[in-house]
Amino acid sequence: MKTRRHFLQSSAAIIALPAFESLGFRSFASTAAPATPPKRLIFLGFGWGITDTTWYPDITKPGAEYAMTTGLKPLERHKKDFSVVQGLWNKYSNEGHWGSTMWLSGANRYAQPGQSFHNSISADQVAAAQLGLKTRFASLQFNSSEKSDASGHGPGLSMAWDVSGKPIGGQNGPVAAFHRLFVKDTTPLSQQQALLIQRRSVLDAVLDNAKSLQRGLAKNDNAKLEEYLQGIRDIETRLTKEQQWMAVPRPPAPIKEPGATALGNGREEIELIYDIMIAAMQTDSTRVMTFRQPVASLLTSLDIKVHPHDMSHYHTTLGEKLDASQRRDIAQSELLAGFLDKLKATKEADGSSLFDNIALAYGSNIRTGHELSNCPTILTGRAAGIKLGHNIVTPKDTPLCNAWLTLLHGIGVNAPSHGDSTGIINELRA
Amino acid sequence: MRCTDLFLVSLFMFMYVANGDESTDRAIMHERHRALLKTNCVSCHGPEKQKGKFRVDDLPFTITTVEAAEKWQKVLNAMNSGEMPPEDEKQPTNVAKTDLLDDLSNAMVAARRTLSDQNGVITMRRLNRREYKNTLRELLGVEINVAELPSDTGTGGFDTAGQNLFMSANQLEQYQSLGLQALEEAFTRSAVADEERKTANKKPKTPELVKFGIGDNRQVGSVTAKGVSKVRFECETANEKVSRFVEQQNDDRARANAWVKAVNDAAAKPENLAVATELRKTAKNENEFRREWMKISKEPSQSSFGNFKNDATGGFVDLANRALSANWQKYHEYYLSRPHLDQGAYLATPTLHPQWMALGFLQLPVPGEWTSGNYVFRVRLAATKEARPEQKFLEIGMHPRNGMVRATFEITGTMDKPQIVEMPFTLTKAITDSGDRTLFIREKGAWDNNDEGGRKRQEAVKRNGIGPEAVLWIDYMEIERVSDPAGSAPGLAALGIPLDNTSAVTEIKPALQRFCAAAFRGMEPPASFVAKLGALYDTQRKGGAKHSVALKETLSVVLASPMFLYLAEPAADGKRRALTGIELANRLSYFLWSAPPDDTLLALGKSGALLKADVLMQQTTRLLDDERAQDFVHGFVHQWLGMDRIDFFQVNRSMYPRFDDSTKLNAKKEVFATFAHLLQHNAPLSDLLKADYVIVNHLLADFYGIEGVKGDAFQKVSLPPNSPRGGLLGMATIHFMGGNGEHTSPVERGVWVLRKLLNNPPPPAPANVPQIARLAGKVLTTRERLQMHQQDAQCASCHRKIDPIGFGLENFDAVGQWRTEDTYQVKDDKGKPVKGASKTWKIETNSAFYKGPAFKDYFELRNLIAARSDDFARGFSTALIEYGIGRSTGFRDDPLITEMLVAAKKEKLGLRGFIQALVASKEFHTK
Repeated sequence: MKTRRHFLQSSAAIIALPAFESLGFRSFASTAAPATPPKRLIFLGFGWGITDTTWYPDITKPGAEYAMTTGLKPLERHKKDFSVVQGLWNKYSNEGHWGSTMWLSGANRYAQPGQSFHNSISADQVAAAQLGLKTRFASLQFNSSEKSDASGHGPGLSMAWDVSGKPIGGQNGPVAAFHRLFVKDTTPLSQQQALLIQRRSVLDAVLDNAKSLQRGLAKNDNAKLEEYLQGIRDIETRLTKEQQWMAVPRPPAPIKEPGATALGNGREEIELIYDIMIAAMQTDSTRVMTFRQPVASLLTSLDIKVHPHDMSHYHTTLGEKLDASQRRDIAQSELLAGFLDKLKATKEADGSSLFDNIALAYGSNIRTGHELSNCPTILTGRAAGIKLGHNIVTPKDTPLCNAWLTLLHGIGVNAPSHGDSTGIINELRA
Repeated sequence: MRCTDLFLVSLFMFMYVANGDESTDRAIMHERHRALLKTNCVSCHGPEKQKGKFRVDDLPFTITTVEAAEKWQKVLNAMNSGEMPPEDEKQPTNVAKTDLLDDLSNAMVAARRTLSDQNGVITMRRLNRREYKNTLRELLGVEINVAELPSDTGTGGFDTAGQNLFMSANQLEQYQSLGLQALEEAFTRSAVADEERKTANKKPKTPELVKFGIGDNRQVGSVTAKGVSKVRFECETANEKVSRFVEQQNDDRARANAWVKAVNDAAAKPENLAVATELRKTAKNENEFRREWMKISKEPSQSSFGNFKNDATGGFVDLANRALSANWQKYHEYYLSRPHLDQGAYLATPTLHPQWMALGFLQLPVPGEWTSGNYVFRVRLAATKEARPEQKFLEIGMHPRNGMVRATFEITGTMDKPQIVEMPFTLTKAITDSGDRTLFIREKGAWDNNDEGGRKRQEAVKRNGIGPEAVLWIDYMEIERVSDPAGSAPGLAALGIPLDNTSAVTEIKPALQRFCAAAFRGMEPPASFVAKLGALYDTQRKGGAKHSVALKETLSVVLASPMFLYLAEPAADGKRRALTGIELANRLSYFLWSAPPDDTLLALGKSGALLKADVLMQQTTRLLDDERAQDFVHGFVHQWLGMDRIDFFQVNRSMYPRFDDSTKLNAKKEVFATFAHLLQHNAPLSDLLKADYVIVNHLLADFYGIEGVKGDAFQKVSLPPNSPRGGLLGMATIHFMGGNGEHTSPVERGVWVLRKLLNNPPPPAPANVPQIARLAGKVLTTRERLQMHQQDAQCASCHRKIDPIGFGLENFDAVGQWRTEDTYQVKDDKGKPVKGASKTWKIETNSAFYKGPAFKDYFELRNLIAARSDDFARGFSTALIEYGIGRSTGFRDDPLITEMLVAAKKEKLGLRGFIQALVASKEFHTK
């Protein structure tokens, strides 16, 4: 029988062979157990914003001595370990119902003449291009199991947009997420290899078909077909990665498989995805993740009957809409606090915790109602050298992309710029 | 002075717009606003100072570039947010500011529209989700669930606009796996049909065998059926379970009482007195006291009195306690006292957890042996004399626990003369694989959700001391298999080779070639592609795969290939050219069917005959007469009228008990049925603005208070002259969308009317307008609240046009019922009603269009809107063009729109006139 190495050499893999210095736990997923734990980047987005009167700390009192607010109260025990950043926005955003579409890209919807919708690469994908080379999954995108967008995220298949500004699909709900990460392929290796060859032949065939079709197409149409060709290339890359990882067994899941009963219960889904994210990091399956959190089903799980969009317009009537909005804030803060507990409690091989090795941004493009300035932003984790424990107030209308660039640089992804960034934000650095 | 000079220069440049107010449909700012900019902005943002590095004095008043649009957007944003002019600076008058914001936001909409316009070029389009599903159906004769594909809407525009239909790696793989699923389904169907043909005239080898597994909760849990094509469940069989349950309840109660006595006796013993007294002190009641029975010595356990069968949630200790309570036994006994139980069962109300007793519905699973195929579900039933009119409807659905109702049927049968209700349905492999194969029946609206059902049940208990009357008597339920019509899978027929593994296939390529030809809708399959497919098949065969497996796998590649997925029309850059016959056939059928051309149409396309005007019109008529045109009706109308909002929220059923799931479903159907009626009869489009008839069925007629309508079919019903119904504004769904399921929203309704009926869409809700909190907690009518909110220029700029229309529609409540009063209740910051802070008022609908005519009530408003049928027709034409040719419209399309309007007017605005004019237009024939 051929060895795995032999197979890979003979099949002209494009991506360099993983080296297995260690056969530790980590080797199940990442190519090598790093001497120091790797840095990770996580973005958590919620669509409809927050209650701005009770979520933000006093904007006139920046610094570490700020008074905790009711919306953030559940995070009090972590006060020293996260910063609230105020003053950030995406200057091109004009869509009052798009909480996530351009949150990580800062793109101008109308930037391309002749097109009514344009987006550009999201910050997570910038990181994935570098951090993703060494793991089974370059990045992972999680969504809730909600079927329609009542959660205020806007267009998109997840929080992530690829290098050409096209939507990237994600795992919808904890069950699908768990499967993607941990369900083992029980097919014998030889058959997997045959299947891989077959999938390459499939790509080859559809590529041939695409090329026939391409002949004579005008520029615009060609650009459309280019999306298809990009799809082929992406699958190609994925297959190469699969080939590389084929003989590496899937890691045993550190958590139980979530049951389908959780689906539709927003609160449970968020908790489960947080657990899955931790499991993904424990097994070093990926280092870049995004999660487009449910809001609509979070409300139903809290027994709130107000429609999520109405809730975000509590201003003229207050009453039950405001109540719903505030309860949503508290629930979201509780969930995040729970996530931080677990990140701190989960130890790495060198004794540090996951919390020490992640950079996490939490927020939305929408502040409240249709307000798109001073986007709610919480930064946490120690990987990016962010100043924690502060109410950081940046100059009004600082690009959100400056914060993303600061995070990227902080974890060693030295992109010259991102979106509409004008530079990194020094106030954010510890 | 300098400012003035610049002012003059730019004035000169844009003189040609000085007269005529075109600012609403061109990306042009009106000159009258220059004064405001000059007075209030230029001192900081002009030649002298450029605060924030921003100048307004050099802003072009005609917006032709993305850069200029961004600058104006910045002005709009700064003023909308109240940031500019700064508070301590001189402020413009409210009117001037409102007008500027009004014109600027409209100019921005026009600018975005112009800048995103593609000069009429139609981008190659991918089949959208609906078309993909239909195309598979036409090719393979099966319908699969394509919900996993990403939605095609969201970035604005119709799901036919190629520009907005993306493709990604994930999606590409999904197409292959969905294609494979469809093939599996089609192969299975074909095998089943073969089998049926073979056995049609033979007696089954095994004797007929049907078995029902009936659970203790009276429901059929399983059905086995071999060698038969029909199963019938006689519902009276289920009643025995109910009587047994009541016996059990009596028995449980007797034994529980015996246990109670034993506990009390033990507690009374001198040696236990102290303990018992202590326990009674802390226990709230005797039940709680008995929970501690183990602390009383020599006390017998409840289990020594036998097993108690109930849904005690408190665990073991409560089993006996629970048996003492009422447990709806009175209701169960009432059920058993109903007449004709020897011949049928009743649909009643759920009492206990359905695991124990399920009286709310009756279910029948499709026998496990039966695979995908077509079926008919029949129910023989009657409504008893006591049934109230609104109870005489039957709901049928799939999956009793969480399934939504699929269809609702009127019940006309009586105990003397029961009726049979029939519902055809299709079982697909995807459905059977997910285990979802149980049909259920239920009384309409009896238990749509626990809140609502519980409320109704409580009301009935209050009324009669027992519970909701059981008035629907079910004789039997049956499921029958229907044979597949032969040749319903042209794709498989085209293959021309055996699909199973019984005989050897030597030459695969010709078969693949034929399949591709069928799949590519007239496009010639490239030889190189077919060769690669052949190799793919051969490799799999060599690898040990069976013929049918390798074939399905190979064919699935065809279903994920670009020639299948895209509607390509090759053309040289910048050159417009006429479509070929085949391309025209495709464009026509995807327009009117959302499906591929059939053989007839494709043949006419291939021969070029379709390019002749008369042939094209004949075909247009034929397509519109075909059943498949329903896909046009649904696909177009749903998007055109923004009907996705229906699913955005739930109706508050305690406020609107009559708007149950069935009513909601039928109210939605009314919109489609009405449009389909116009299409079928070439009735005037303006009937959608005002009509002396409605298209309703019995259920909806009841909801509207229209008498004398019978049956489940939607039918034309004449209205009395003073009826608020007739046309879109009379429809419950339209008003439902203009609210949140609880309260009406004059804003939503006003916007909808401006957008959809008057072709005068307000700009999208702007970002960063400060929210008004000063009105919260005040006891105001909806109208007062909105009017006060208009005091802010940022709000008034749009709302002065929107709100008055909404006021005129306030006589319709949140589910579209007529009302004359409304109430507002202030709620505290915990969402609880504040005592005394509520107001009830008589609805006032008199208002006026902004700078337009006044109306005193809904009827006058409706007349004013109906008088603007030309505006409506223009908006409709625009939507039809965008949907039909798959691109957004620009100003250059104005002549086409006019052309369509003129043509339609010749036919009294008949709906087909618009479609025919579009199909006949040069645009429709041009790549």
